[in-house]
Amino acid sequence: MTANGWLQILVFAAVTLAVTKPAGLYILRVYDGSFRWLGPVERVIYRWCGIDPEDDQHWTRYAAGLLLFSAVSMLVTYVALRLQGSLPLNPFHRAAVADRQAFETAASFTTNTNWQSYAGETTMSYLSQMMQLAFHNFTSAACGVAAAVALARGVARRSGGRIGNFWADLIRGTLYLFLPLSFVLALVFVQQGVIQNFASYVTVHTVEGAKQVLAMGPVASQEAIKQLGTNGGGFFNANAAHPFENPTPWSNFLSMAAIFAIPAGLTYTFGRMVRNQRHGWALWAAMFVLFAAGVTTAYWAEARGNPIHAARGVDVVATATNPGGNMEGKEVRFGIANSALYATVTTDASCGAVNAMHDSFTPLGGLVPLVNIQLGELIFGGVGSGLYGMIVMAVLTVFIAGLMVGRTPEYLGKKIQSREVRMAMLYVLIFPAVILLFTAASAVLPQGLAGLNNAGPHGLSEMLYAFSSVTGNNGSAFAGLTGTTYYYNTLLGLGTLFGRFAMMVPMLALAGFLSERKTVPDSAGTFPVTTPLFVVLLLGVILIVGALTFFPALALGPLVEHLLMGLGKVF
Amino acid sequence: MLDVVYIVLTLGFFALMVAYVRGCERLGREGGEGEGRP
Repeated sequence: MTANGWLQILVFAAVTLAVTKPAGLYILRVYDGSFRWLGPVERVIYRWCGIDPEDDQHWTRYAAGLLLFSAVSMLVTYVALRLQGSLPLNPFHRAAVADRQAFETAASFTTNTNWQSYAGETTMSYLSQMMQLAFHNFTSAACGVAAAVALARGVARRSGGRIGNFWADLIRGTLYLFLPLSFVLALVFVQQGVIQNFASYVTVHTVEGAKQVLAMGPVASQEAIKQLGTNGGGFFNANAAHPFENPTPWSNFLSMAAIFAIPAGLTYTFGRMVRNQRHGWALWAAMFVLFAAGVTTAYWAEARGNPIHAARGVDVVATATNPGGNMEGKEVRFGIANSALYATVTTDASCGAVNAMHDSFTPLGGLVPLVNIQLGELIFGGVGSGLYGMIVMAVLTVFIAGLMVGRTPEYLGKKIQSREVRMAMLYVLIFPAVILLFTAASAVLPQGLAGLNNAGPHGLSEMLYAFSSVTGNNGSAFAGLTGTTYYYNTLLGLGTLFGRFAMMVPMLALAGFLSERKTVPDSAGTFPVTTPLFVVLLLGVILIVGALTFFPALALGPLVEHLLMGLGKVF
Repeated sequence: MLDVVYIVLTLGFFALMVAYVRGCERLGREGGEGEGRP
């Protein structure tokens, strides 16, 4: 580890802290309806679509609207990908996307996952990239924030199960939040050297005299929303390790800052909405502690390197001319600190963009992204999903605290009783159930084992990572797993759908149930949710839930691989 | 060939989610413990 590396990590942490309040205030004004600089456009959309933005929907109607929009947009994308060969903006005559991949891709982008079993530059036409995938980048992100804001409304007010208007939230989030911010960020990316064109692919001669085809395309416009919306799907197969997607240290830093900006800001928005700003900061603090622990572990593990390399004479000590550590699978441009930081940020935030190959990390370095995902994508988390995941954990925390002292638990003045805890537990249990059942099935079925490229614990880690990534709606790949089969495309596609909607529904139900409760004033028996003790207890609940559900699988994967690495064994 | 299967699978999944919404609503009614809508 170097002072330079730590300095960059500290600067990133400071920027995350600095953007939290302005981003939070901006989001608050978007969703409370006071920010209307595109009012005429918004009104036209409402009129054309027959939407009454003042129609305060019951949580069941809100959920139904979200499901309807997702189902229709997913089917449209499926059909468009299957018809790609006949559609315009296809200068390289890309054929129809295979049925299994079209299903997986449509599901993956609809759910903000962006798991990709294809290479974008050789599979997708410009039309598919811009009108299907980029469309979902915007709308899936807007759906996530809408759901989080709906939960915040449920906590904040007493409205008989009414939590806002899904269609208005979707349009406001897209129109005022993601479109303008993505436009500005795309311009900055272009200034940094990210390409944005409809040009033909360029054939160049390398210094060795070989011919190489360089893919072109409208990359910057997709790159901006990919990071801001925590989508993560790359225009190119190499994702953010590709110099046309991520050309400079600044573009790398801005990408990471963009990934955390909205999820961090949402904690501030939540604090304002529930009129308890200190609670918003308490959630932020819990997220930050987990982020700091993750990046420290990943950086330490990668900078320490692989002892097998050291035993074979490879210099793993950092010097002025040698990065040392484990540079396998990393861009020399970014080095170890920025690779470890990017991997932590992208898996904390359910983004899934990568600037290094997580499969090539040391076992403990690779454990960090895996654990980040398995904790429920709530360390700042996906746009919206991070906040509502953390709120569900906060509800469980006050419930457990209430059990400890024998009083009816309250969360921000709302009594937490059996139906709220049922919804919270549904949310918590579905996630590991999907991951572990799908991984277990793949570990014994020949169709699952056929996709493995590595044996032993590393192979299990690849499988576990894949199902964790899709169910957590992260989308990053550990690599090493051949996912382009009917078995994996279908199962991974289903994993994205269950990981998104089977968790969103009980969360929206929780919002509705809380909005039916009257707010009671704090009493001597109320567990305060603004103190360091609350943060510690919240962290304990998150870690215990994660450890209890995933530790056995992690012990068989990265942990045993780490121990065997010390004995000189590789997989 | 398998297009129909994938389209039916998609529609089936979302139909399942709609049923899930109703199930959650029912669970909420059963566990309401007296405090209803205002």
